[in-house]
Amino acid sequence: MQLLVNGKTYEVDVDEETMLLSVLRHDLGLTGTKYGCGDGDCGACTVLVDGEAKNSCITPVDSAAGSEITTIEGLANGDNLHPVQEAFIKHTAFQCAFCTPGFIMSTVALLLRNPEPDDRQIRAALTGNICRCGTYVRIMQAAKSAAEQSGQQGGK
Amino acid sequence: MTAASDIRQGAALVVIAPPQWAGELELREPPGPDATILMMDHQGGATAFSGKVEYGQGIRSGFSLAIADELDLPLGSVSVILGDTAMVPFDRGTVGSLSTMTLGMQIRRAAATARGALVTLAAERWLVAESGLATSEGHVFQTSDTNQRVSYADLLEGKNLQLSIPDDTTTKQAVDFVYMGKDATRTDALARVTGQAKYSHDIVVDGMLHGKILRPPSYGARPQQIDTAGSERIPGFVMVVQEGDLVGVVCEREDAAEQAVDAIRVRWQEVQELPSDSDFPGLLKEKAKEMIVLRESGSPADGFAQADHVLEGNYFVPHVANAPMETSAAVATWDGGNLIVWSGDRSPFGVRDELASALNISQDNIRVIAPEVGGSFGTKGTVEVAHEAAVLAKAAGRPVRVVHSRAEEFMWGTVRPAAFYEIRSGFNNDGKIVAWEYTGYHTGDRPQRGQRGADTPYNTPNVRIAVADSASPLRTGSYRSLGCASNHFAREIHMDEIAAALKMDPVEFRLLNLSHPRLSRVLHQTAERFGWETKRDDSSIGIGVAIGYDAGSFVAECAEVTVQRRNVRVQRVVAGIDCGMVVNPEGVRNQMEGSIIMGMGTALRETVEFGSGRLLNSVFSKYRVPRINDAPQIEIVMSGDPTTQSTGAGEPGIVPIAAAIGNAVSDVTKSPVRNLPIVPNLP
Repeated sequence: MQLLVNGKTYEVDVDEETMLLSVLRHDLGLTGTKYGCGDGDCGACTVLVDGEAKNSCITPVDSAAGSEITTIEGLANGDNLHPVQEAFIKHTAFQCAFCTPGFIMSTVALLLRNPEPDDRQIRAALTGNICRCGTYVRIMQAAKSAAEQSGQQGGK
Repeated sequence: MTAASDIRQGAALVVIAPPQWAGELELREPPGPDATILMMDHQGGATAFSGKVEYGQGIRSGFSLAIADELDLPLGSVSVILGDTAMVPFDRGTVGSLSTMTLGMQIRRAAATARGALVTLAAERWLVAESGLATSEGHVFQTSDTNQRVSYADLLEGKNLQLSIPDDTTTKQAVDFVYMGKDATRTDALARVTGQAKYSHDIVVDGMLHGKILRPPSYGARPQQIDTAGSERIPGFVMVVQEGDLVGVVCEREDAAEQAVDAIRVRWQEVQELPSDSDFPGLLKEKAKEMIVLRESGSPADGFAQADHVLEGNYFVPHVANAPMETSAAVATWDGGNLIVWSGDRSPFGVRDELASALNISQDNIRVIAPEVGGSFGTKGTVEVAHEAAVLAKAAGRPVRVVHSRAEEFMWGTVRPAAFYEIRSGFNNDGKIVAWEYTGYHTGDRPQRGQRGADTPYNTPNVRIAVADSASPLRTGSYRSLGCASNHFAREIHMDEIAAALKMDPVEFRLLNLSHPRLSRVLHQTAERFGWETKRDDSSIGIGVAIGYDAGSFVAECAEVTVQRRNVRVQRVVAGIDCGMVVNPEGVRNQMEGSIIMGMGTALRETVEFGSGRLLNSVFSKYRVPRINDAPQIEIVMSGDPTTQSTGAGEPGIVPIAAAIGNAVSDVTKSPVRNLPIVPNLP
């Protein structure tokens, strides 16, 4: 099976019902995407599939074959961080940071489909992600500042 | 066991910590020759060594800032090695919000010692008095001619110094800090937003296999018959391991190991008639063990006899799950008789010593490394997952990683003890509390669990405080501000009940009964920032206040809630903390916010449901932790004096929040909230 991940094509030899999370972490060594619950309840495993946020722990790999998959490792452009990553650093929107890749990917997906979300839309987009350290105030600030930036770019 | 490549071999200068500086409450072994806590290399960079682990609290950053300041080094020239038993001095574990208070000072003094040695080297080189020298950005210079400067690297050329911390070492004053006391970006931020930070789940060793452990369906269940034929048919199956009570499978992939363990057919013998959550709180008192009287002062009997009013209340806090986002995991690899384990645990030395006894090998043959830890909040203090990986790896003859599933973490990780309180207070019409009788029951088998925070901080002449342990059908363990947060819930709710009985303002009533200046100050400042006076007259919202103390720090929190039918929404929280000198204000705010969110979960929703030895809500869709749409607006007030010693900031924020929310709900319903989670009792 061929997978397109972070702009690279990979040939993987796995059962088609294997979950995308397992393939990313085990076969491709992309460990930035995390296992948090295996039930799609916590969002730690969030990746982009054709620009949409998906819980990779409940996404069978064959359903993502042929799509563009983006993980946390594929966001930065060389040394240039994605604006959402920059915003998470600026607001220290993490503590243990185990959930951070998932939150960042969910935020990126939101801004792709809605470059100027309001607070309610940000909350709705991120409510599937759990941060047990409780850094939600900061995540909200980071998402808002990234949204302001993407809104400005969208308006150009 | 020593590390194969030890950066200390190339040290130009090391600072050794003498035993009394181990900075821990109890010292199980002398630091010995390996107790290097700080080294400088020949490039002039510094590295600190600590047995603490980084589980989100930002201790690596905090230590880095302290060293950069005391040693006058650029932050980029400082690194910190944490939680590797082959590299760092013995440490009892990362507990009780004490890292900054105890070890932070030790590290500052070590850095100051190194700086002093560099100044001495420069004075010898230039044949000048040390008093005419100063340091900045990795250089020593002459204050009379700042062009006369020499880098630390030049001073350390060819050197191999070993220093102890002199008793008269002085650390810098707050006004001289460049890094400490100011908001700082965490030094590990980049790795955390790019997916590069490595947790125990992410450790990969050459040839590594994956293990899963067979779990009983209920607590205490024992296998009567095990048939593993089904597992062997799973592609990638390697072996079944049975050693004592431990039954596990090893496979080439983690998902295969899950399937293989599910394919084991077992006949279980389960324990009958185990209690359920609905047997609580009754069981807490029924199963109580020895009562420990923590304080008896004055005469409570006389106090109650003389009081104008007597009020009684019973309070209950259920078992709640720590549920860190990273489930427990470990990687074990054997090299002959030597074992290396990566385990996301808050006590690497504890894991090493427990492994030594469980595997019957010397602790000298074991190296435990804690990578990044994805949350703890008090759990992950046990050896189980490291032991599982070590046993499976030994049997397989290859490295093995074991990652617990979310269901395993819920059921076999530890939970916060449940607690039940009986409070009786006597008070006069003038608002003074004159008698206080407090009895707490906490599940769990370690007596200190219920003691922390049980005593009243209010100025009351006749007091009796007693606590007792009680049995739990669950695996209880530590939790953020263990015992203390539960104790504060009961006491601070009762305080509002007294205020209501006297028709007094809850803030005024507390101030009237407080004589502790730091606690009064933090309450006063917090209420002011919250706008308590004006909010009091707004009938569309409920407001509540609570105060507390923990880990040497003092806190006050005001909450604003709205209540619609049985739905409570926390709209705004203002939280004040006095934790003395603040190393990184941004770090303190982050910890306070997190503590408030976590405590909100215990206030409004979280409770572990169980029956017949099974957990009934061990998934995040049923065990409801706070999510982003639950988060209130939070403002943090720093109330501390920078000249007082740094104290804990990781836990105190959780201490008053459940009571502050409960009191705010009562403000709406006019009926006290005595049990968690809160169910509004609307008329």
